[in-house]
Amino acid sequence: MTLNFRSRQIWTIARLELRRVFFSRRSFWVYGLALFPLLIFVMQTIAVEYQKRTLSAVNTISPALMDSVREGERVEAVLERLGKPSRDREYSFRRRERDGEEEVRIHNRQLHYWDGQRRANLIFQEGVLQNIHIRQLVSIDLQRLMYNGVFHYYYLKLAIFFGCLGIFMNLFRGEMLDKTLHFWLLAPARRDVLLAGKYLAGLLAASVIFGTGAALTYGAMLWPVESAEVRTFFAGPALEQMLRYSAAALLACLGYGSVFLAAGLLVRNPIIPAVVLLMWESANGFLPAVLQKLSVLHYVQSLCPMPAPVEEGTPALVRMFLAPAPATSWPLAVLGLCSLTAAILYLAAQAVKRLEINYGGD
Amino acid sequence: MSAPEIVFDEVSKFYGEVLGVNRVSLRIPPGITSLVGPNGSGKTTLMNLMTGLVHPDRGSITVRGLSPRDPERLMRLTGYATQYDAAPRGATGFDFVATSLLLWGYEPREARQRAAEALERVGLTEAGHRKVAAYSKGMRQRVRLAQAVAHDPEVLVLDEPLNGLDPVVRAETIALFRDFAARGRHVLLSSHVLQEVDVISDQVVLIANGMVVAEGRIRNVRDEIEEHPSQFLIRCSGASRVASLLFERDHVSEIKVVDDRQGLLVMTRDRNEFAAALNAIALAGHTIESVLPADENVDALYEYLIGAQR
Repeated sequence: MTLNFRSRQIWTIARLELRRVFFSRRSFWVYGLALFPLLIFVMQTIAVEYQKRTLSAVNTISPALMDSVREGERVEAVLERLGKPSRDREYSFRRRERDGEEEVRIHNRQLHYWDGQRRANLIFQEGVLQNIHIRQLVSIDLQRLMYNGVFHYYYLKLAIFFGCLGIFMNLFRGEMLDKTLHFWLLAPARRDVLLAGKYLAGLLAASVIFGTGAALTYGAMLWPVESAEVRTFFAGPALEQMLRYSAAALLACLGYGSVFLAAGLLVRNPIIPAVVLLMWESANGFLPAVLQKLSVLHYVQSLCPMPAPVEEGTPALVRMFLAPAPATSWPLAVLGLCSLTAAILYLAAQAVKRLEINYGGD
Repeated sequence: MSAPEIVFDEVSKFYGEVLGVNRVSLRIPPGITSLVGPNGSGKTTLMNLMTGLVHPDRGSITVRGLSPRDPERLMRLTGYATQYDAAPRGATGFDFVATSLLLWGYEPREARQRAAEALERVGLTEAGHRKVAAYSKGMRQRVRLAQAVAHDPEVLVLDEPLNGLDPVVRAETIALFRDFAARGRHVLLSSHVLQEVDVISDQVVLIANGMVVAEGRIRNVRDEIEEHPSQFLIRCSGASRVASLLFERDHVSEIKVVDDRQGLLVMTRDRNEFAAALNAIALAGHTIESVLPADENVDALYEYLIGAQR
């Protein structure tokens, strides 16, 4: 049999398997995982639009007027200069000045102003301006930071990980449960050809599902941002960043896919390899350098345009788990991950050659 | 050129602690061969072993010179209709057959054509576009048969292929097996429908507890069972007189007069002596209308060889 013939067999197997992977009832939750952040960003866009309308409905002041406000000003002066606020809220609370003395009733007032981009929250105490909080309702930098966090902590560590678990473990184990695996094993194809075809199907499906999910979420992330800002962003690093996120998603599918495909051949219960791998990947940041290279996350994180964000004040133990391993250059990351995947697939090929049908007795 | 035999050489298979088959040695020539044995005796294991669905713990198997560990070449000449009822989810009968042909390397157009022909051979043309999940047991049986024969294999392996088939389809299916066998191919089937096995098989392999207890042509197997006398049904006039003449012979151990008193059921330990005795009786003027072996069938063999172990 020629290489060309085997390649055609691989493609035939992948094509047949793709239908099952995309439309299997077991796969539907994977779509949910991939599209959940998209839903969140769409909801954010709706919320931002709603806020903009609510704030604009009353009064929109000029940015210069908003910047002219200073702490210590009287509420009457601010109202006279800036006009009717978008929101006006008054409340009071009691405070004991010193031990044993009478409680003092403090009167507070909050005024919200809107300049079309930013929202100012002015807090007055007893009629005097105490605090000024001005922030953009939505900005591209903030959105990018949010997306980066979602990509690292949601897509890489959760969605793609568990999505690949669902897709790739089912390629063999699912067929064993459905009692349909013999259909493939009775085909005139080498077992490693069968493995390659199924892996290709899983990889294509996972890449389409998570690549599309990540790209759509990237688009949704930009949706509430002003169009001028988006245009500037696209003239700059946007496409490169999007490409790097997509490449990271694809390589994560490549790596996790091979691991879970092999696991599906070697163990019956998917929970065990999932937990072990999740712990291994989570501990990657503080493993010795040699062991760090045996991690999918290690390579994939190196491809992301920004490192995983870790907030100030995060407890040291949590920080240890969240902190990424030192980055590798992208050619090394791609090469490293491909080598790791090839090694795992070789082990899987040995396992599939020994695979027997055992649906539960003679 | 590959040897046209299926050879099991000292093959053993265990499922953990459970015995599948033990030290099975067989040489199966072309023709229709039936594997007969009670549930759990190892019939399916033998079929799975020769198609590579399970691997032997000991011994070796070749199918027309090919190893089951080489599915790329073996399955090109083998079709296996398994007992497993499931088809890929959502597949129609036509999809099920055509899809498997794509794996055989046929172009989609030829695969569709062959699938249509195979479905026609098993009488499923009209139902071909319905989902397999909605098929009756008999239809599923037939669609698996269609899949197994669609690529015109040299070796056809069929696990309980007559189960659930109505009499007309059963007759057509048996005709299909005979057609395959007549072309010098292997048809290996397992069945519990012993009467049919008896009628259609060129040879039988009787299995019990994972071991082959007898193999060969049914008559040859019968001849080897010495502890059980052979039984013959004789239709004759003057049954009582013929019975008394036969009883004088040492090799006759028992005679029963059948209910209509027009025949005898004779048990003899020596077929040749029995034939000579009948000739002598006929020459003496008694009318012998017919002589039929009463236990040269799988039912009797099954009872003799396996009955005690059931």
